[in-house]
Amino acid sequence: MSENSKIRNPKLGKLDKNRNANRLKNLLMIVLACSLAFGTVSCKSSKKAAREAREREMAERARAIEQAKLDLQAILDDAGGMSIEAKERELNRIKGLNLDDAEVNDLINRVEDKIAADRAAMQPPATDPAEKSASERLNNYFQYIATANSINQANSLIDETIGMFSSDNAPLLIIINRSGGIVDYDRPTTIRKYLEYLKDQKKNLNAIDELVFDDNGKIKEIILIKK
Amino acid sequence: MRNYKSLIILLFVLVAGFSANAQDNISPERKRAIDSLALEKIRDLGTYISRVGNKDTEFSESNRIIDRALELFAPGSEMGVSSLYSSDIKYYTIRKYFERLMALNYDKVSIQWYNIEYVSDLELGPDGRYVGVITIYQSFEGTGADGLQYRDTTKKDITVYVERKSTQIAGREIEFWDVLLGDIRVTETSV
Repeated sequence: MSENSKIRNPKLGKLDKNRNANRLKNLLMIVLACSLAFGTVSCKSSKKAAREAREREMAERARAIEQAKLDLQAILDDAGGMSIEAKERELNRIKGLNLDDAEVNDLINRVEDKIAADRAAMQPPATDPAEKSASERLNNYFQYIATANSINQANSLIDETIGMFSSDNAPLLIIINRSGGIVDYDRPTTIRKYLEYLKDQKKNLNAIDELVFDDNGKIKEIILIKK
Repeated sequence: MRNYKSLIILLFVLVAGFSANAQDNISPERKRAIDSLALEKIRDLGTYISRVGNKDTEFSESNRIIDRALELFAPGSEMGVSSLYSSDIKYYTIRKYFERLMALNYDKVSIQWYNIEYVSDLELGPDGRYVGVITIYQSFEGTGADGLQYRDTTKKDITVYVERKSTQIAGREIEFWDVLLGDIRVTETSV
């Protein structure tokens, strides 16, 4: 570089200043554009992530609702395989999911009704004092007939027992199993035939479950249950 | 025409299958109750046979017991009878069997059934009935004025049918399990 080049030209100095100012302006513009561009992209991607999370959440909820419906329907369709306790556990689990779905809520109500009905069926029927007294007398007769020492004694006891009934053809049912709200019966018979059965077989394997009285206080129907 | 026939057969199979399925949908607890109900009926029959065979049982009582015993059987069922003196096994209708039992020419008859158990579990058949086979051992002793005249032990297989039925009791529908015994076949006879 020659000495001459070091000589300051006032015109040239002004031009350099302008050029530098332009450069700075351009740089600022680029930085601003970049920041705007990156900012938009970043905002767009965070919105997308939020939407995806929301969609995932909704899909999971839909799946949970479908599964809950299936599980609740299985309880309603159960034919005795599930215990009341198992049904309650399953119901509480589903209620704990707080799905807040109209169909699920309806199924929950129906399952609650079913469990209540099952529980009621498990309870022994309430007995009034007259029924209790008749029940005790009848139980004793059953035992005496089954253990009678002779045919004559058994026949005499049978006649006495029949006196408690409105007819010797009063229907007699025997429950062989009661579970999950379902009651299974043996073939229906009559009180006469049942008392003769006790006499013939010499075994008293059933307990009194329910007595139905007529207006005269006589037993018109009897339900027994396997001991 | 052939197409119609095929369709009807298909429908019948589907209906039978559905009905069988519906009945098969029972819990193990209920199945156990039905199993023991059938075993109980067999024990009852053993006692009836013993009572009718017993020479001390009055004629009128025996006839009443026979009527009760017949109620345990499906119509047309037969009982096999064997003897140590012959390889033949004779089959009689249940009433005929009881009448012959009552008329046996001994002063005293003792019949006992024991080891009563399933040899073939109750299984749901295509007709909607459960069918199983229960085996029993029967000891028979006939005693005359001079003492023991005849004794044998027989193993018998009893076919058991269990069917869901319904009836009206005091104006309401009652569904029940009807246990009916089928043929009783002799499988072994020994001293």
